[in-house]
Amino acid sequence: MLTFIARRLLLAVPVLLGVIFVVMLTVQLIPGDAVALMLGEHATPEAVARLRDYLGLDKPLLVRYVGYVGRVARGDLGRSIQQNRPVVDELADAWPATLELTCAALVISALAGVAAGVVSAVWPNSLFDGVARVGSLFGLSMPVFWTGLVLIVVFALWLPWLPVGGMGSLPHLVLPAVTLALPSLAMVARMTRSSVLEVLREDYVRTARAKGVAERLVVAKHALRNAAIPILTLLGLQAGQLMGGAVLTETVFSWPGLGRLMVKAIFARDYVLLQGAVLVFALAFVLINLAVDIAYGVLDPRIAHHG
Amino acid sequence: MTRARVALGTLAAAAIAATILVSPSGPAEAQKRGGTLTIVRPTDPVSLDPQLETTAPGAWVYFNMLEPLLTMDEKMQIRPALATGYEVLSPTKVRFKLRPGVKFHDGTPLNAAAVKFTFDRALRGNPPARWASLAGSLSGAEVVDDLTVDVTTREPYGPILRTLAMYCTGIVSPTAVQKMGEGFSRAPVGTGPFKFVEWKTNTHVILERNPDYWGDKALLDRVVFKVVPEEGARMIALQTGDADMVLLPAPAQLPALSRDPKYVVHEVVGGRVVFAGMNAATPPLDDVRVRTALLYAVDRKAILDNILEGSAVPARGVLAPSVFGFKDMQLDRLYPFDRAKAKALLAQAGWTPGPDGILQKGGQRLSLSWLAARGRYPKDGEITEAIQAMLKEVGVEAKVQFLEWATVFTQFRSASFNHQMFTLGWVTSNADADYSLYALFHSKQVPPTGWNTSRYANPRVDTLVEQARRSMNQTEREKLYGETQDILAKEMVWIPVYNTKEIVVTRASVKGFTVHPVEYNLWLGKTWLDK
Repeated sequence: MLTFIARRLLLAVPVLLGVIFVVMLTVQLIPGDAVALMLGEHATPEAVARLRDYLGLDKPLLVRYVGYVGRVARGDLGRSIQQNRPVVDELADAWPATLELTCAALVISALAGVAAGVVSAVWPNSLFDGVARVGSLFGLSMPVFWTGLVLIVVFALWLPWLPVGGMGSLPHLVLPAVTLALPSLAMVARMTRSSVLEVLREDYVRTARAKGVAERLVVAKHALRNAAIPILTLLGLQAGQLMGGAVLTETVFSWPGLGRLMVKAIFARDYVLLQGAVLVFALAFVLINLAVDIAYGVLDPRIAHHG
Repeated sequence: MTRARVALGTLAAAAIAATILVSPSGPAEAQKRGGTLTIVRPTDPVSLDPQLETTAPGAWVYFNMLEPLLTMDEKMQIRPALATGYEVLSPTKVRFKLRPGVKFHDGTPLNAAAVKFTFDRALRGNPPARWASLAGSLSGAEVVDDLTVDVTTREPYGPILRTLAMYCTGIVSPTAVQKMGEGFSRAPVGTGPFKFVEWKTNTHVILERNPDYWGDKALLDRVVFKVVPEEGARMIALQTGDADMVLLPAPAQLPALSRDPKYVVHEVVGGRVVFAGMNAATPPLDDVRVRTALLYAVDRKAILDNILEGSAVPARGVLAPSVFGFKDMQLDRLYPFDRAKAKALLAQAGWTPGPDGILQKGGQRLSLSWLAARGRYPKDGEITEAIQAMLKEVGVEAKVQFLEWATVFTQFRSASFNHQMFTLGWVTSNADADYSLYALFHSKQVPPTGWNTSRYANPRVDTLVEQARRSMNQTEREKLYGETQDILAKEMVWIPVYNTKEIVVTRASVKGFTVHPVEYNLWLGKTWLDK
């Protein structure tokens, strides 16, 4: 098991190197120059040249790449071009917010999604199932900025129960987490419903029922555990999705997360900051995938990990 | 509209102030001390140090902490700030007397050395400060004695006083900069009525009253600048009371808010002109008849009424009226909306109707390629499309290419520009005509050197703006700029569309606040809360 984890982590290195290269190349290829943008309309060409020189932006792409990778290996992510601030500090400001929001949204979509899916599967075509299915469709198709604003109007303006936005106490977390969770929740509910339905038709479930196992146990132990693999895969994918796709939610709810940091970096063509943020995302993806793979083995001993 | 307010203690305005105080608009209310003012605005500062930040998100905050030598009041008059007086010693040297007994927030005394330190840091540092590019010929400061400092320029520089009254030229505490290093840019130390408390990235910046302020102490205990990127959410925060003041409010909601006694819409004509620019260096727009024909073809009133819905005023020239040297170009009289006139001028220039309704000359269609960004300035995309449709009515085709700002900007900045038209906005940051007329219309200021994106070239204009820049006589300068604008009005290389309004919405409990024509000057030194 440990060798398995170690090997997977080592494999992450070329992935991260590739990610850095692609980000650097993309920023190089798209039009727009960080320094000129930063200094604006009023800048003299000399000022632009001096700042570019100061930041080392006049060096060729490969030289900058090798230099950057070398510094990252020593734990130095550089200074953001626009703010002239260590990228590590910028990331440290935004990362906890993203983690908090992603975890909350993941918990909501996992718990509510699995619960709704199981109930739908146990009583298919019931009233609840109908409502849940229409609700899932709604959750999947409504854009986040729209649901977000509607939730703000209802729960912050009409019923003044929750704050309009910002980060802080638990009430601050409720609306953004729910908004962000809705599409994933819908997907998890649908996936759970179909896989549990499928498992409930299996012979061993009939056997379990025949030998008198309580229905509650049949569903919880025999059906759900066996239906869990696809749900887990989906949750793993969603975790990445929630983390990277939170920029709209962050914008609507003034949430100080990584998504907004990244968009800001892109508009300013601040490739140093952008690379730092992308590295964090890439690393998180690698770790989530690893965690999902390990969980497979725990849930289903037939899936063994051999070093 | 904003209720007229006049800064008391300013000599020029004293007479008017006296009449305002007895006017029926009500006696001055008793000011209350205390409370926290919460402001919501869309973006976090880049930095709180003018060295790294000259854009509004940072300026709004540091303007209340860092004070320049001079300042510009709401009537655009230069007033003393850290300097109590000045004397022009020579065309390249101005002597300032500093206010005695002023201390920075960290206790360091304000003196000539601090002024020199601030200017050296900005102008001689590597890299130079962001604001160094805005400061024209400013070259440094020399210490004369503890409270006397000479500010020097590389060449005679008429706009020097307005430049030193710019929001971003605030004097910083030398000891704090030396002690904090890079950290200073996130926790600046100045002399202003508020001092820094905390900055949580992308969440808020908190300031508190400076109890040792040299002037009238601030009435508010604290000011919290919150980041709320979404326009709708900002307006809701104002309604729920989570915010007392909204910067960049939603224009569509302004009419309703100004009717509601719970809110006050503060507005003033601002310093930015948004325009459709023409590239005068290449055909067909090198022909002044074609250029002016386009002005006749555009119904600016319709654009203002239907697209901007009261959130802006018609542009009266290439400068905003608040700028020193502004002369009303009388565009509505010179170029009233008149399609027949436009067509006649185009016919005069040799353009005849083609088979597809577009004018043509020698087999060449009158088709203009147009570069624009969307969302850089209020309604810029909509305006571009409206003008495109209006030009079509007189047989001119405009092919508009909308690109993201960074991309558009790179094309503007480069030496070759392959479009005939473009949509842009321009703000005269130091409120002196030099800043715009020189950089935008001098023939040597074609990018990447300056911002003459129209590639306009007129030797007379070159002479005028050079002369005006070098003159220290403000009356003479005003005359020179007047002539410059008269020439520009005849040879129009812009279709000036609108002049921005600076609009701030507050809850009715916010008192003593006046919105400034310069968008960066958000002054909270006299603001108080009635609750």
